[in-house]
Amino acid sequence: MERKLREYEERRAESAKLAAKLLLASATTTPRVGGVDEISIHVLETRDEIEDMAISIDKMADDNPAWDFFRSDAVQVKDSDVVMILADRRSGHDLMDSDCNLCGYMLCNMLREAEKLPDEPSVAFRGPFCLLRSLNMAYALNGAVTLARQLGIDHTIKMSVGAAAIKMDLVPYKCDIALGFLASVTEKNPFKDLPKKWAEYNDETLQNRLIHRLFPVFRSIYS
Amino acid sequence: MSIISGEELLANGMDKAVELMAIAANTAMSFGPSKLKIVAIGPEEFQQMADFCEGLAEVSPLFNRDGRSFVDLAKEDARALLIGAKRKSVYNFDCGACGFRTCEELNKAEVVESVVINGPCCHFVVYDVHMAANAAASVAWYMGLHCRVFITIGGAASGCELIEDCDFAVGVGVSYQSKDPYFDRHKYWTEEEWEEHFAREFPSFTRRFMGAVE
Repeated sequence: MERKLREYEERRAESAKLAAKLLLASATTTPRVGGVDEISIHVLETRDEIEDMAISIDKMADDNPAWDFFRSDAVQVKDSDVVMILADRRSGHDLMDSDCNLCGYMLCNMLREAEKLPDEPSVAFRGPFCLLRSLNMAYALNGAVTLARQLGIDHTIKMSVGAAAIKMDLVPYKCDIALGFLASVTEKNPFKDLPKKWAEYNDETLQNRLIHRLFPVFRSIYS
Repeated sequence: MSIISGEELLANGMDKAVELMAIAANTAMSFGPSKLKIVAIGPEEFQQMADFCEGLAEVSPLFNRDGRSFVDLAKEDARALLIGAKRKSVYNFDCGACGFRTCEELNKAEVVESVVINGPCCHFVVYDVHMAANAAASVAWYMGLHCRVFITIGGAASGCELIEDCDFAVGVGVSYQSKDPYFDRHKYWTEEEWEEHFAREFPSFTRRFMGAVE
């Protein structure tokens, strides 16, 4: 790659990592229901980690018939510069004890005794969870969203990233629910304006199909 | 140029601010096609909610605390934006967070009704509503308003039927007074009351050493 463009590319990637630090700060300082520490934020910033995450999301698409959208999510993860995982380490076992009924169990003690879903590939989060606790993840997510908007960084939120993070053990011990935030510092927003079959027709597959597969054949015939 | 009084400026500014907050809530980032109900309330409704919270004071310390402050908020011309939604899943994620294997099972599950919230709710509907609340709060914050997100405002509003056709709601309280009425609300309990509650909730602290009884 041309020297000037390589320098630009490196600085662009660096700026995404710098932004991720600020986004983490904004997500951390959003208010919490209950005022107790419970959300931890994990940042994937190297290409290896992000590609691993994309592969794992793509694999999960086969685990549940409702998860077809995971394939397109995997492409979006691959296209992002920073992946943030927001995990709630309390909602599974340390309930809010306010008997709010959001989860559908009148009393918190009833939720404590409720049977958890089995550990199967088709289950993303082994519920039921304390919803009054886990909605703090929404606050943390929106903290990152608010700052990303201010900074002018393309961003989106993904449930599939959280599901994969649980499967890949990227979250604290005994933490069974997480959500994902993707940020990208690129000229074209990779999270919007996507064709319906984005998993099939994206930059990488077109590059592979047209440039790497078809054009060499064309070239050898017509040369 | 006509002179406009400070009170009038503040009250009019507040109306516009609440409108902008509603826009921010409606356009907030979300996980899917959730339908949010948005309503703004003012001083009369705060008074109504204060009476409702007084009834719940014995069973819920949170409603007790906020109910006491609603009386003052009603006097201070505070407003709140209520955001609510129906409990059912519209996402088809089949994620299992609610304790049901699929969204269809959750949507068919029997409703558990309570005074302020009907469950079981889809986690992502609740996330969307609370992200909308957070977006509204961030707009209020950028405009310099004092604000705080209250589950109790949402609960009391549902209890008083200020927001219709919702299974749960959350409120974003805003105020233009010079002192922030939502934090450091020490005036709602006397020093003796505070000491008494603290001694009851944290007995080992007042004993100074775990297990040592004087």
